[in-house]
Amino acid sequence: MSLLRAEAIRKDYQLDGEPVQALRGVDLTVARGEYLAIAGPSGCGKSTLLHILGGIDSPSSGTVQLEGVALGALNDRELTRLRLTRIGFVFQRFHLLPVMTARENVELPMSEAGLAGPARRARARELLAYVGLAHRQQHRTTQLSGGEMQRVAIARALANAPALILADEPTGELDAVTGRQILDLFQRLHADGTTLIVVTHDDRLAAEAGRIAHMLDGRIVGNGAGPAASQLPISRSK
Amino acid sequence: MIPLSLRALARRPLRAALAIGGVAVASAMLLDMVMLSGGIERSFEQMLLGRGYQIRLSPKGTLPFDTEASVSRVSGLIERLERDPEIVGVAPVLGGSLYARSADSLLTVFGYGIDPAAQFLYQVEAGRDLGAEDTLGILLSRASARAIQAGPGDTIRIVGRLDPQIGAAAVERSVVVRGLVRWLYDYQDQRSVGVVLPLMQRLLGPLATDRASLIVLKVRADSAVPAVAARLRVEFPSVEVNSVAQLVVHFRERLVYFRQLSYILGAISLVVTVLLVATLLTITVSERLGEIATLRAIGVRRSRIIRQMLGEGLALTGSGAVLGVLLGLATARYLDAILKSFPGLPAALSFFVVQPRAIATAAVILVLTGIVAGIYPAWLASKAPIAATLRAEAP
Repeated sequence: MSLLRAEAIRKDYQLDGEPVQALRGVDLTVARGEYLAIAGPSGCGKSTLLHILGGIDSPSSGTVQLEGVALGALNDRELTRLRLTRIGFVFQRFHLLPVMTARENVELPMSEAGLAGPARRARARELLAYVGLAHRQQHRTTQLSGGEMQRVAIARALANAPALILADEPTGELDAVTGRQILDLFQRLHADGTTLIVVTHDDRLAAEAGRIAHMLDGRIVGNGAGPAASQLPISRSK
Repeated sequence: MIPLSLRALARRPLRAALAIGGVAVASAMLLDMVMLSGGIERSFEQMLLGRGYQIRLSPKGTLPFDTEASVSRVSGLIERLERDPEIVGVAPVLGGSLYARSADSLLTVFGYGIDPAAQFLYQVEAGRDLGAEDTLGILLSRASARAIQAGPGDTIRIVGRLDPQIGAAAVERSVVVRGLVRWLYDYQDQRSVGVVLPLMQRLLGPLATDRASLIVLKVRADSAVPAVAARLRVEFPSVEVNSVAQLVVHFRERLVYFRQLSYILGAISLVVTVLLVATLLTITVSERLGEIATLRAIGVRRSRIIRQMLGEGLALTGSGAVLGVLLGLATARYLDAILKSFPGLPAALSFFVVQPRAIATAAVILVLTGIVAGIYPAWLASKAPIAATLRAEAP
């Protein structure tokens, strides 16, 4: 059974008074435990698709179901709760709270979910150890390197044991070495059974995924697997 | 939530410090205005009740010492009042201008004719009090003593009134200074003297015979004061009978513009606080929209975002208020000293009275102000579109 199913997703909006068709009928199914990369050039609609899949944006038409729940049928409170408990987000710019320590950042979603303090702290320590930052848990995020901040963000995304991790250009702000560490971490998550959808324009990252969905001009133009798929020539239609 | 709010404010320490400074100044102004609006009334009441005399009898249609009018046939009146079982103290006072000889000149002084056994007007600071029928003694304020250059034990000459035809003394007496006193209703550096009532009546001449400017009464029980005042009003229709509570009402009526001014200035300080805090928080929200959108994306509820922003507003106003209280107390003390030096005002009257209730009122108003100031930024933060904000934040 699929974990996530998106059907006929369209997204239209106005940009400086001009109509923009960001998504033009996207169908996508993701199985539980799958590692999917959504690849494509800048502006092809991959981040918009990720936002819609994660319930932080709504489609102009079409439906998204996560674990059989139609996101469009949920009100704001229910959708917020679903994002908190069933989806983990990793952003290109990490977006950690600078006034908090690494551990407090990881604890934040658990605190929001109502987990008690001791259990929350224990799980935060466990997750920080999982991403290799056991020794940095009391550091402010401003004291961490970019790679460390992204690993804290991944630990935060895992906090409430979500069904799905959505990552938007997770290595976009990192150098090659630290980017590699993040890729290794994603591989480990995948090996441990986590379902991952990663948006990237980085061929190297896309090649790590079990499947690649290529997007162009708001459509998925190709589905493939492995390194060969990542080498598909991509060009914007004129 | 507050510690996190404080940590959030600490991200821009200079900006937060400037805002807290602004709130502190506005809070100080608010506190001073709250103290001013009720303080002078409170001080007036405390001053009148200082010696426990709760009722004042003055000439019909006047307030005590409002005019130079006086009550006639006062000895008979005092006798009747002393027979009243509810009244335990009767203190008559006759006020008027006197002159004291100093070298070759005459100094104008204000004279009180009092009954030393039942007095509410002064505290002895040096020397001793007058005896009950001490027609040879006099009490001086420190300002009088300085001007006359006399102290306890010295003999001075006091002139009751001048003959208008020749400008010479019509009534003059030698008296011995018994003590130096602080007159409770005097303005600063007022030259005042006190003698027993019969001597004062003689000094002021035939027109003051058996007269008093004021009679104050001590009633056995505070709860009986309104009833006693009402009864005396009926019994003595030719005099004005006021309880201290009624005098405070009269006083309040005279101060209505003063109080309105303090309300307006207090309200302005609140508006300044709201604008200052709201502006700062709005800027903060604008800067942190990406962070707020991220929090919403990972499942943080709108209510928590709202609480966070309100918490930051409260943290700002709270920190500012603590400093503001200290600043307000210091400025109140300074302003009080200036106002008390105005001519014609009793030195014992305070304009700014520190009352826990005033501080509590100011604190509650400031907390509400902090919440109000945080409402718009909180609404702005909670309504930030998640996806659009994250798109805008993307490189």
